[in-house]
Amino acid sequence: MASAATTKGATSRGPLNMILFYVFLAFFVLVSMFPLLWVFRMSIVTKADLLTSPTVTLTAPPVVESYKTVFGNPDFIQALVNSVIVSGSTTVICLFFGSICAYAIARLRFRFKSPIMTLILAISFFPAVAIIAPLFIQFSAVGVIDTYWAMIIPDTVFALPLTIWILVAFFRELPADLEEAAKVDGATTIQAFRKVIVPLAAPGVFTTAILTFIFAWNEFLFANTFIFTAAHYPVTVAIPNFATVYTTDYGAQSAGAVVVTIPLVILVLIFQRRIVSGLTAGAVKG
Amino acid sequence: MTSATSEKKRRGGWFREEFGNPERRLAYYMVLPAVLIIVIIAFFPIAYSVVLSVTDSTITGMGSFVGVENYVEMFKNPDFLEGLKNTVIFTVGSVALEFVIGLGVALAVNRAFRGRGLVRAAVLVPWAFPTVISAVMWRLMFQDPIGIINETANALGIISQPILSDATLLLIACILVDVWKTMPFMALLLLAGLQTIPGEVYEAARVDGANVMQRFFRITLPLLKGTILVAVLFRTLDAYRVYDLFWVLSSEQLESLSTFVFKSVRISQLLFAQGNAAAVFIFVTAFIIALIFIRIFGMQTGTEE
Amino acid sequence: MTDRGEITGVSASRKLNRRDFLKMSGAGLAGAALLGAAGCGGGSSGSGTLIFGMGPDDAQGTMAALIEKFNKQSDFKVEHQVMPADTGSYFDKLKTEFQAGTGNIDVIGGDVIWPAQLAANGWILDLSDKFPASEQQKFLEAPLNSVTYEGKVYGVPWYTDAGMLYHRIDLLEKSGYSEPPKTWDELQEMADKVTQDQGVKYGFVFQGDAYEGGVCNGLEYIWQHGGDVLDPSDPNKVIIDSPESAAGLATEASMMSSGVSPQAVSTYQEAETDAAFFQDPGNAVFARQWPYGYAYLDTKGYLKQDQVGVGPLPTEEGQDLASCLGGWDMLINAQSDMQDEAWEFIKFMTAPEQMKFRAVRATVLPTRSALLEDPEISKIPVVAQGKPAIENTHARPVSEYYSDMSLEMNEQFNAALKGDVSPEEAVSTLQESLEGIVEAGN
Repeated sequence: MASAATTKGATSRGPLNMILFYVFLAFFVLVSMFPLLWVFRMSIVTKADLLTSPTVTLTAPPVVESYKTVFGNPDFIQALVNSVIVSGSTTVICLFFGSICAYAIARLRFRFKSPIMTLILAISFFPAVAIIAPLFIQFSAVGVIDTYWAMIIPDTVFALPLTIWILVAFFRELPADLEEAAKVDGATTIQAFRKVIVPLAAPGVFTTAILTFIFAWNEFLFANTFIFTAAHYPVTVAIPNFATVYTTDYGAQSAGAVVVTIPLVILVLIFQRRIVSGLTAGAVKG
Repeated sequence: MTSATSEKKRRGGWFREEFGNPERRLAYYMVLPAVLIIVIIAFFPIAYSVVLSVTDSTITGMGSFVGVENYVEMFKNPDFLEGLKNTVIFTVGSVALEFVIGLGVALAVNRAFRGRGLVRAAVLVPWAFPTVISAVMWRLMFQDPIGIINETANALGIISQPILSDATLLLIACILVDVWKTMPFMALLLLAGLQTIPGEVYEAARVDGANVMQRFFRITLPLLKGTILVAVLFRTLDAYRVYDLFWVLSSEQLESLSTFVFKSVRISQLLFAQGNAAAVFIFVTAFIIALIFIRIFGMQTGTEE
Repeated sequence: MTDRGEITGVSASRKLNRRDFLKMSGAGLAGAALLGAAGCGGGSSGSGTLIFGMGPDDAQGTMAALIEKFNKQSDFKVEHQVMPADTGSYFDKLKTEFQAGTGNIDVIGGDVIWPAQLAANGWILDLSDKFPASEQQKFLEAPLNSVTYEGKVYGVPWYTDAGMLYHRIDLLEKSGYSEPPKTWDELQEMADKVTQDQGVKYGFVFQGDAYEGGVCNGLEYIWQHGGDVLDPSDPNKVIIDSPESAAGLATEASMMSSGVSPQAVSTYQEAETDAAFFQDPGNAVFARQWPYGYAYLDTKGYLKQDQVGVGPLPTEEGQDLASCLGGWDMLINAQSDMQDEAWEFIKFMTAPEQMKFRAVRATVLPTRSALLEDPEISKIPVVAQGKPAIENTHARPVSEYYSDMSLEMNEQFNAALKGDVSPEEAVSTLQESLEGIVEAGN
């Protein structure tokens, strides 16, 4: 696999091109990381230094008071746990139902595919803010307000369309005769799905997993409206609450943001390898 | 086939064909959960909102039927029109930029080189950054005199007034922040798509004497088309519904279609019905955009066999 | 492809097909159900506990202390449910709960601009029978106005706020001024001289952004010049289009056009004002800010108490003092099933002793007139120097459509400040749109 990728570029590039390449790369990395680095700086200076001027923020002596505020707040630690649970559950549920749905649409034969795909897509069109009140009434009637489900369910509903569409695109691109080959060996449709298609569509599956996780992680509207007890908030709601009615503790919010982003980055680092591995080169040759 | 069975087939029609066949039934079972979740949770609130948009409704309840009156009022409302203008400019600008830059990044990262994994993670950081904080921090960075971006722009002489006080500068700022934040999404999707293109295809092309440009336009783009369309469609729909970013960065000053909906449905007492009308408007126009992607750009919904 | 090897030899009966699928979904649902058990600890804390909804506690933790004290002496418990710190977010959340018809929160700590809006929809309780006129008289006038709607009283004023002028005693002295300015002309004069003499960056900073705070600032100028938004005797009559109101907005705009205030002041909220005035070394001579700002002084990185004086805002020559009313009231949810207990709790929190506790500990200003004379409270610098401001507050328009009005006002005030429209245009536009709002509502 590595050979396929390297031969695409390495042989035809001269040293100047390589330098240019690395320069552009460095630029993009810098632009991407810069705000995070700046926010990190904001989290290690005093609240006063934060708001004086950019130069002061850059050069002021570092302190840990913001991190003390953040970690000294038991609700924040709990919020981290809540976020992990909600995002993880949403991702698992979304992938599970989304992938079997996408598989059916991409690889099996039946009518009504177009209307179903359109219906699924249509949910992405409606601004969630307009239906918050009716959703509240629905969840209230079922008694899930202020529980994890009040976040997992709407997150799943709004993440499913993208999940399904991406996976449909990926499942479609796999060679058409894969199921045939599996059936010849005696597999059922489900087995073919589980053991053949899913591993090969791993890049798509892991991509969707990351995107869904991050979407649920960053979701604010539903968490803010449907959750009332401080101990049930996820981090997206907990961080803006480092404030009083009059003042905002930007230092603590920056610290919170850093604490919340680092695990995500690590998670992504771990998972992005999986996007690369398990590739189609094997499928095509085999 | 005897005449009796062929008769039966014609009478049973599609119902039998669909649900009588176990293989097909299985397909429906697989599709059912996802569809059920979506319909049960989202269908009724959306339908309710549509009903509210054609009645004289307020936050305390539905009023009497008024036909298209709310829509007429909405189209006459200068805030709505401003929101529409800003939203269109924002959507076109940010999606275009995100696509071009995202594609470039995906192509670059697709090659194997030292530190590729780290670069990929670094590029994903903006997407992972919590949105609520992102907008707040960016506002701080644009604020005069404490923001580094404002200060730098000022020093370079690019701006003549504080960025946050001018509607045009605010819109540009929003586009740039959005590109920063969601370009990784594009890049990630396009990269995953690139990874599924087998290396042998390029080998064959190179053997045939195709240069970089030809390989890109004749091989990469067509093979990537499906992924590109999905990525661009979803980004377009997301950008079209922009709300958080405008609301926080401009401190409620810059109007978008969704901020108009929010203000009308959740803050104002009097514009409630108009707000629902605007929500339906967003729904319908987004639908049209999707149709354009499907029909005109040939995006596949996965239903072609 | 190694996978093929695994598949060989597995029986391909149709029954397995369905069973496999059911197994998978069963596993998925079981996992989901486990989650349900994990998450279901939430919801209301059971009947018998009074839920008190309010934003986060102050830095000194006075709310928590008082609630604890109450819980010790009463037979039911009170729980503070922390609502969003941002007042807009809090109001939004509250309204969602009301719209859904659920009665979870019993006692609501509400912003002064909420009672009319909540009362008009029947969401909060009419307290006229529990809170008679004899008791009402003990409270300051403007806070009381904020809880009165259509002649009935819907809440008890809890604590109050007033817009004040902060000034740099040391800078003024150096330029030969011993007293803060009494009129806006004086303020501009002083600010000019001090910034020229001593090279201070800004003359005057205030909140000019298009948000609720901007409405407060704009209204202060209008009131100080003798204008008003609604006729005091007839809340359905809009009178904002007057020469006085225009003069008020003109004064506000002149702050920016004369250079006394920086151009960025049209994007300033409380945080930016604080950064400009209160932080060492202090870049402004004057600031319009709420009383909470005083708490910054004598802390690390901020100015010292002897450098800063606080007092009522200047006013137009010959006009009364006026500042914008801020603060919070105690309201009862009309759906609550613990209304009597709610009233017990409110009586406790608004009693003189508890108000004094918060005032002394956290500079949270009381709404009882008598307490402003109390010796301990009079010693608090903001009260000692700023009492005239607290006694001369005006409530923002008390109307069930205040949210709509606020949206219009914040837009026009900001436009007039930036010079995008003239003050006369701004007030005449507002006259039209506010009249439209009142009409549409009736």
